Amino acid sequence: MTADMPTTFFGWVVFIINQYGGALLQGAGVTLLLAIVGTLIGCAIGLFVGIVQTVPITERTNTGLKILNRAVQFVLAAYVEIFRGTPMIVQAMVVYYGSMAVFNIDMSAMLAGFLVVSVNTGAYMAETVRGGIISIDKGQTEAAMAIGMNHFQTMYTVVLPQALRNIMPQIGNNLIINIKDTSVLNVISVTELYFASKSAAGVYYRYFEVFFVTCVIYFIMTFAASRILRYFERRMAGSADYQLVGDPMADPSGIFPNGTKMGGK
Amino acid sequence: MTTEKKKPILAINHLVKYFGEREILKDIDFEVGQGNVISVIGASGSGKSTMLRCINLLEMPTSGDIIFEGKNVLDTSNNIALYRTKVGMVFQSFNLFTNMTVLQNCMVSPVTVLKRSREEARQTAMKYLEKVGMAQYINARPDQLSGGQKQRVAIARALAIKPQILLFDEPTSALDPQMVGEVLEVMRELAEEGLTMIIVTHEMAFARDVSTRVIYMADGVIVEDGTPQEVFGSPKHERTKEFLARFTQNT
Ligand SMILES: Nc1ncnc2c1ncn2[C@@H]1O[C@H](COP(=O)(O)OP(=O)(O)OP(=O)(O)O)[C@@H](O)[C@H]1O
Ligand SMILES: [Mg+2]
Repeated sequence: MTADMPTTFFGWVVFIINQYGGALLQGAGVTLLLAIVGTLIGCAIGLFVGIVQTVPITERTNTGLKILNRAVQFVLAAYVEIFRGTPMIVQAMVVYYGSMAVFNIDMSAMLAGFLVVSVNTGAYMAETVRGGIISIDKGQTEAAMAIGMNHFQTMYTVVLPQALRNIMPQIGNNLIINIKDTSVLNVISVTELYFASKSAAGVYYRYFEVFFVTCVIYFIMTFAASRILRYFERRMAGSADYQLVGDPMADPSGIFPNGTKMGGK
Repeated sequence: MTTEKKKPILAINHLVKYFGEREILKDIDFEVGQGNVISVIGASGSGKSTMLRCINLLEMPTSGDIIFEGKNVLDTSNNIALYRTKVGMVFQSFNLFTNMTVLQNCMVSPVTVLKRSREEARQTAMKYLEKVGMAQYINARPDQLSGGQKQRVAIARALAIKPQILLFDEPTSALDPQMVGEVLEVMRELAEEGLTMIIVTHEMAFARDVSTRVIYMADGVIVEDGTPQEVFGSPKHERTKEFLARFTQNT
């Protein structure tokens, strides 16, 4: 056996890629899946929580709604504080083993993983979205109301598109954090990249070489994610200049709100 | 009062507004007739903006009535959003929606609030952008326009919902002097076409030449209310005289 074993660092790296490349890539796939799905669901949760947290309550709101609002705000605030205030690795243990012990649900590790990443991201995104919403100039909301929009229409057409544009960098940040932090899910045996690496390293006790390869894979994933997000940010910013329209009444060019048609020249 | 006896479309009765302990508006009373162009003048802090914001319910009056088309808009059953489509507002800081182009700014309310078809909304928006001389700029975003251009688009946006009354809160105060004229020119045209307007302004020449009525406010009360000739020519009250004198000195 020793005869055909590599002797140098790079020899080992090549050997590991040959032997375990497939397994590591599969782990990377699981990591990406967890990170992307978790970030998307987390954003949806964050958007929902952030929107509910900024619902305006005025003197004209009726008392029943005011009480309901109080209760909902309390629950949401508790959610945000608890999930921001405890480590994801601990949340994974509690959710995975707790679901069995308390609710008698036999959850797969993968499902528990999705749940933990989503809910955790949601708690962070809720704060980000709330901040994004309240940072929009009050003049924008007043102008929307002054032309007859209700709160929902104002949010949907004016505030959220602007808030989302502003918080895009944080969404990207969350995706990158999730690509890295899903590694903690190895404690509940989710076969993501870290778990796959640990298994591979254990066979020949080549921890350095295996984790060197793992490191490169993580970096490629985060770097690609950051570049792709940068590209979307630029697209959302729209084109830097505009064309005067000679005969505007004849111009059939695309018109209508919310960025779907923004940008491009 | 000797002003025209048209049936009022808007009546403000005993309007009072407190911010905390401070009484900002004290028993404001006046009527707006169809086609009136009312300039509201007064020192900074006298409550002009607050009054305008109460009229379109961006601020809730503490007490009093606002009667529009025979109905009290402060009744809890009143649909505030619908009322605001009839009483539009133009702001000092333009407040164009930064996530939309010029044309989208003028179409968004007709489409989402008034449920007009896109084509109809587009036609209307183009008509008013044409009127304010901004039809060429439909594809621009607000941050790509000068202040005067932004304000003209903001006026077109307000007109696109075809309001009965248009409120202006110091529409030219945030503009460089060379851009004030283009905005006032648009407003002058609107006045000539018979649009009912209430304009808070420091442009005394404009108030004198264009309005049918001038209201002078001080410390939350209407001190003087009359034709431009009456208010500028022979003000009845000492405070109005002082204000106008100070104004002509400073400018
Ligand atoms: N949201 C608010 N909360 C507390 N006080 C306010 C608020 N808005 C305005 N005020 C106060 O009300 C008074 C009247 O303000 P307002 O803006 O109506 O004056 P104005 O006549 O429009 O002045 P300017 O010519 O400077 O615009 C001021 O003393 C101001 O400080
Ligand atoms: Mg003001």
